[in-house]
Amino acid sequence: MEERRTMQQSPPGETERKVAVRLSGVTKSFGDFAAVDDVSLDIYEGEFFSLLGPSGCGKTTTLRMIAGFEEPTAGEISVAGQQVQGVPPYKRPVNTVFQSYAIFPHLDVFDNVAFGLKRAGVKGDELRRRVTKACGMVQLAGYEKRRPNMLSGGQQQRVALARALVNRPKVLLLDEPLGALDLKLRKELQLELRTLQEEVGITFVYVTHDQEEALTMSDRIAVMNEGKVQQVADPATLYERPRNRFVAGFIGQTNVISGKVESVNGDRVLIKTAAGAEIEAIAHEEVRVEVGAEAHLAVRPEKLRFGNSGDNVFAAEVRQIVYLGASTQYIMKLADGGRLIVYQQNAHDATVNAAVGDEAQVSCDATNCLVLGG
Amino acid sequence: MRGQKSGWSLGLAGLLAPVTLWLGLFFLVPLLLILAYSFGTSGVYGGITLGFNPSNYLKVFDPLYLEIVVRTFVIAAINTLICLLLGYPLAYFIAFKGGRWKTILILMVMVPFWTSFLIRAYAWVVILNGNGVANKTLQFLGITDGPVNLIFTPGAVTLGMAYAYLPFMILPLYAALEKFDPRLKEAAQDLGASKWHTFWRITFPLSMPGVIAGSILVFIPSAGEFVIPNLLGGSRTVLIGNLVQQQFLQARDWAFGSALAMMLAALLLAAILFYVRHVGTDKLEGV
Ligand SMILES: Nc1ncnc2c1ncn2[C@@H]1O[C@H](COP(=O)(O)OP(=O)(O)OP(=O)(O)O)[C@@H](O)[C@H]1O
Ligand SMILES: [Mg+2]
Repeated sequence: MEERRTMQQSPPGETERKVAVRLSGVTKSFGDFAAVDDVSLDIYEGEFFSLLGPSGCGKTTTLRMIAGFEEPTAGEISVAGQQVQGVPPYKRPVNTVFQSYAIFPHLDVFDNVAFGLKRAGVKGDELRRRVTKACGMVQLAGYEKRRPNMLSGGQQQRVALARALVNRPKVLLLDEPLGALDLKLRKELQLELRTLQEEVGITFVYVTHDQEEALTMSDRIAVMNEGKVQQVADPATLYERPRNRFVAGFIGQTNVISGKVESVNGDRVLIKTAAGAEIEAIAHEEVRVEVGAEAHLAVRPEKLRFGNSGDNVFAAEVRQIVYLGASTQYIMKLADGGRLIVYQQNAHDATVNAAVGDEAQVSCDATNCLVLGG
Repeated sequence: MRGQKSGWSLGLAGLLAPVTLWLGLFFLVPLLLILAYSFGTSGVYGGITLGFNPSNYLKVFDPLYLEIVVRTFVIAAINTLICLLLGYPLAYFIAFKGGRWKTILILMVMVPFWTSFLIRAYAWVVILNGNGVANKTLQFLGITDGPVNLIFTPGAVTLGMAYAYLPFMILPLYAALEKFDPRLKEAAQDLGASKWHTFWRITFPLSMPGVIAGSILVFIPSAGEFVIPNLLGGSRTVLIGNLVQQQFLQARDWAFGSALAMMLAALLLAAILFYVRHVGTDKLEGV
């Protein structure tokens, strides 16, 4: 796990890894409403890639364009190096796991899984062998003769997965495949899916609106909002270096503080809040800052700590304490009325003993205060 | 708990009583009467003596009547097929491409029901007769020189029947296709099935309940039809329905008429059982 994560810290160069799916300037309009707006993405071979964003942001539409159920209004899509404009879905080297599963109700599990192979001309023993293997892979061995209406939600999900995977597509598209399942089953299947993806080595393009799901499963994530890609990065980078306010707010919890840029020195930025407090923050190279301009900075709740040992110190009143087991969440009120959320680990040497109503100082380091782009 | 349960079944019995009474009085009693008549002996001037006389049934196997039986089933089968071939594309179109016009389109399918069946049947007489609209048009277009014989042919009967029974095919087909989840089509195409394959492997099998219901709804009344063959078939395209009518109203041989009616009912039952068993059930399972 660790190894995988560190490997992706540096985005893979095109010379090292082949592009499985490329979207360049893809737009999809319904009437004069752009559901997908000028999206450019490179998805690499063997990657677990997620499209993450709130409901209605265009994730499904993007996936459907890759699958061939919608044609882009503008822009180009290529799969495995081939332009796919005008290529019907049944001729594209991709398979889809639908959110609704869309299992054929009149066919048993075997025939559902065999459907794609039969169309590809696979017959007899080879067909039986591959279907049986795919069923085994998703832990459905022995269920081959069952009708879909005799399967549980989780089992239907597995049929949908086996039915797509058995064709060994270049790219597997998954549209919120776990959306209809209860939390426990979901967690189990998340792990299974990830393991399966590593085993088969097929490129997965995974749509979800659940940020936790995306973070735990993906190699890289494209965060989308209102049809636009906000940021593409691996989970750690998304969390540690969100590019803009939307990403910072969508991935995990964060405190956003607004102010005016006082001075800029390399990547160090000094920001003055309306209440007059000066906060030292850093701006990564992709973020433009100008002296005198309005700026927002983000600081994660767990980067704040009680005391005044950090670069930036805030005085605030404890308004609410929520005990979360491994950590405790403090909701604080700043002098200017702003809200600050602080997480403290309940480690063996935990020393915080603030109570509701207490005035307290919390602080953080400048490196943990990120200036956000627009 | 127990009281509640029996209360339920009492209520249910109350609800079912009228229909049971209705069917008993107006369906079962006449049916038994016909059954009894079919084994009776007709008097010379009508009237009937009950008894056990199987000769009425043996008479059916007279080649003269057998031909009529066979013709009836052939025409009913052809009519069912025509209705299916015409009705399926229309039901498909309305269900999948109808969009917000769906309801209006399906209402339009039922528009012919707003006029009496008899009037619509007569309309075909007007269209098809010697100097009717059809002949005039053919002559005007120069396809024929003089009037051709359109009416009083098996073709005219089939045409009239297809016209009359098409809605009975379209409605159940539409009901079945309307329920169809279009995402299944996408799933099939995603798995490599062309539109053609998608139709034959997914859409059509899943619309089987509609096909079966529609076929039965068309086949049964076509086999018993007597108005259309009467008006459009003349004396040369007599069907069982006409024969039964003749036996009851003209020949006044009620015993033979009853035997014919029973034969028709038995044959229809056999045909439907055969059809459902061989076309239907395996495809219906699990749907
Ligand atoms: N066929 C269509 N006609 C018109 N508008 C559409 C169509 N399909 C999608 N849209 C619109 O495009 C936008 C994006 O839809 P899309 O289904 O891609 O969202 P999504 O990100 O998958 O959302 P969710 O998480 O709710 O599934 C929505 O506002 C939706 O209403
Ligand atoms: Mg969606």
